[in-house]
Amino acid sequence: MIRSLSAVLVLALASAPLALHAATLTGNPEAGRAKIYTCHGCHGIPGYENAYPNYHVPRIAGQNEQYLINALHEYQSGDRTHPTMAAQADSLSDQDIADIAAYLSSFGNK
Amino acid sequence: MQQRFLTISLFMLAAVFASSAASASGDADAGKQKVQAVCAACHGLDGNATADGQYPRLAGQYEDYIVQALHEYKDGERKNAIMVGMAAPLTDEDINNVAAYFSSQPGKLSDLHGKVQGGD
Repeated sequence: MIRSLSAVLVLALASAPLALHAATLTGNPEAGRAKIYTCHGCHGIPGYENAYPNYHVPRIAGQNEQYLINALHEYQSGDRTHPTMAAQADSLSDQDIADIAAYLSSFGNK
Repeated sequence: MQQRFLTISLFMLAAVFASSAASASGDADAGKQKVQAVCAACHGLDGNATADGQYPRLAGQYEDYIVQALHEYKDGERKNAIMVGMAAPLTDEDINNVAAYFSSQPGKLSDLHGKVQGGD
């Protein structure tokens, strides 16, 4: 009992700084502007559709910041399964994701 | 050569069927009723909620993308604790209607055209 409690405590303590770190990253919209170059190929073309499955690549400029951050992390973790987006998200650091989200969400304020 | 032509023809035929399934258009008025009851609390009745940035804007999003996303939540291809519960009771018709409604609302979403450094 005590052993399992201490295991939980150790896990909680170990993961707390990580969670805190991710939450306190500040996105830089200008840096994000340079980092969306690869996004542009699919998300930059009005009416662009995937070859398969056949639906439009979503509009992401003007989207809410935390949603974009969460979505990219979900592609990294496998909670979202789109193969192209998983590959793209894997190449991004937490700071890249914060910067991209800061830039894209800025269009929602205009 | 002939076989190749046949393969290409079959592929094109499949594409036509796939696109007709994806473009099944919903009823925006019926969608609004459903949105009011189920989605509005987080996404806003017009799909422009911004109070909590974890919830996406849906106004003006592509209709077929919203359909796709809702089916992914329903099928478990997207794992989100809140959306799994929201999408589960929706029928295919509900999904088409909700997507038709949100996509028809004016909003701030756009593609990346003209927003890339050094690009156009």
